Amino acid sequence: MNPPTSESAAHLITLLASIMLVLQLLLVVQRMLVANIRVFATQSLLLAAIAAVVGYAYHAPHVYVVAVLTLAGKVIFLPWWLERLVRQIKIEQEIDAFVNVPAAMLICGAQTVLAYIVARPITSLERLGNNTLAVAIALMLIGFFLMINRRKAITQVLALLTMENGVMLAAIALTTYGMPLVVEIGIFFDVVVAVMVLGILVFRIRETFASMDVSKLNELKW
Amino acid sequence: MNLDLPALLAQTALLLLMAPLLSGLIKNWKAKLQNRRGPRIWQPYFDVVKFLRKDMVISEHASWIFLVTPYVVFVTALSAGLMVPMITAHAPMSLFGGALALVGLLALGRFFLALGGLDPASAFGGMGSSREMTLSAIAEPAMMLAIFTVAIAAGSTNLSQIVLASHGPHWKFLDPSHALAFAAMFIVLLAETGRIPVDNPATHLELTMIHEAMLLEYSGRYLALIEWGASIKQLVLMSLLANIFFPVGLAADATPAAFGLGLLFLVAKLVLLAGAVVLVETTNAKLRLFRVPDLLSVAFMLGTLALVSTFLF
Repeated sequence: MNPPTSESAAHLITLLASIMLVLQLLLVVQRMLVANIRVFATQSLLLAAIAAVVGYAYHAPHVYVVAVLTLAGKVIFLPWWLERLVRQIKIEQEIDAFVNVPAAMLICGAQTVLAYIVARPITSLERLGNNTLAVAIALMLIGFFLMINRRKAITQVLALLTMENGVMLAAIALTTYGMPLVVEIGIFFDVVVAVMVLGILVFRIRETFASMDVSKLNELKW
Repeated sequence: MNLDLPALLAQTALLLLMAPLLSGLIKNWKAKLQNRRGPRIWQPYFDVVKFLRKDMVISEHASWIFLVTPYVVFVTALSAGLMVPMITAHAPMSLFGGALALVGLLALGRFFLALGGLDPASAFGGMGSSREMTLSAIAEPAMMLAIFTVAIAAGSTNLSQIVLASHGPHWKFLDPSHALAFAAMFIVLLAETGRIPVDNPATHLELTMIHEAMLLEYSGRYLALIEWGASIKQLVLMSLLANIFFPVGLAADATPAAFGLGLLFLVAKLVLLAGAVVLVETTNAKLRLFRVPDLLSVAFMLGTLALVSTFLF
């Protein structure tokens, strides 16, 4: 492992991670469901690229598996599945948010700054990428906020997926060049199955209430 | 560093001659991408020449502001352009000001254009002016934050210093904060040049028009000056974006070969950027006017995050 390679690799990883952050912020403003899904697919593609760079630069072959799994699952399969779902339920237009966009942007900005501050004591120990951990925490926080902010069930699924992207980023780029392979494969299939179950659930919600608005579920109480 | 007269003249000529070509290139590519044949890329030159020969119709209610606006718009765009390093790292007028002066000059031009729209008291002009001011109130801070991010990394707000600092040891090419700032700056570029998610440059027969509404009362020579000024402003912003974020290939020494190479790199960068603008314009629909501040608030937040992240790690 010669220093120049690992330095430029760390640089590349940080750059890709910050583009992931930009895409996450775009997800907060974008209102079209299909465009949302494509932004998520692009974000996952960047995650796969980061995994590939980590695998190449730090000679960690099992990270390649993560890259391939991410590429197959989150860049190709899940977006395809979600787009099919959107076509089936025939709602592709607006997503009602609880908070308007400028306020949501302010909240996301505050969350990102919080993530930077939280990650700061750890970054001195970090071997890879300068602020990759901060970006990963920011992805999780913004994904969490996105889940709270959006009403439509399908964007909540997307928000969950972006949170998972954040977790994966932290796992790959932070400490151990990824978790043990079994754990990674486990998490991966967990997410795929969860999304498929959620997809069926979304379809059911739509059939029962003629809407994807999860606040309609409150009617079940009475 | 004294004022270099040949460089000044060369960059003025470059700005004047290249700006319409860039506009024409974007129009032509956009048409090609939409399966139309489109105007030839040198059509904007013919437009300018034709407008210059036409008579002017000026409203009898118009005051001196209306008459002075075209010159102000043209001259501010041009002098802002002289502060941006284009072919060499040394901008001809970098002695007079850096990023702040550039933003100030563009704001002055915009201020007069808005006044010129209001002055003849046509209903559309007033609407265009109020919209322009509303949007620029958010777009301008976003642009300043993005430029400051780069300025902090370089330790100077002088644009030539920023470009020169890129050769220094502390410069990190495509720093994460630069990626955020670049995204912010690109959104601002779309807003400032009246591109599609914000404004439609192809029509002046739309109720939601912004830029075109302000120049609805202008004709003849004045219209030529304003249109030319607008395309110079577009060239200035695009070469600013290209050169402060990707300062590659700028001529280091004053030999003809270096200048030629610098020109080649500048053209290549502008062509790439124009391609990106064309792609965005073709793949997006125009936003509803009340949604535009949402987009610009994203740019503002990206700029803020870029600036904050330079301090936080």
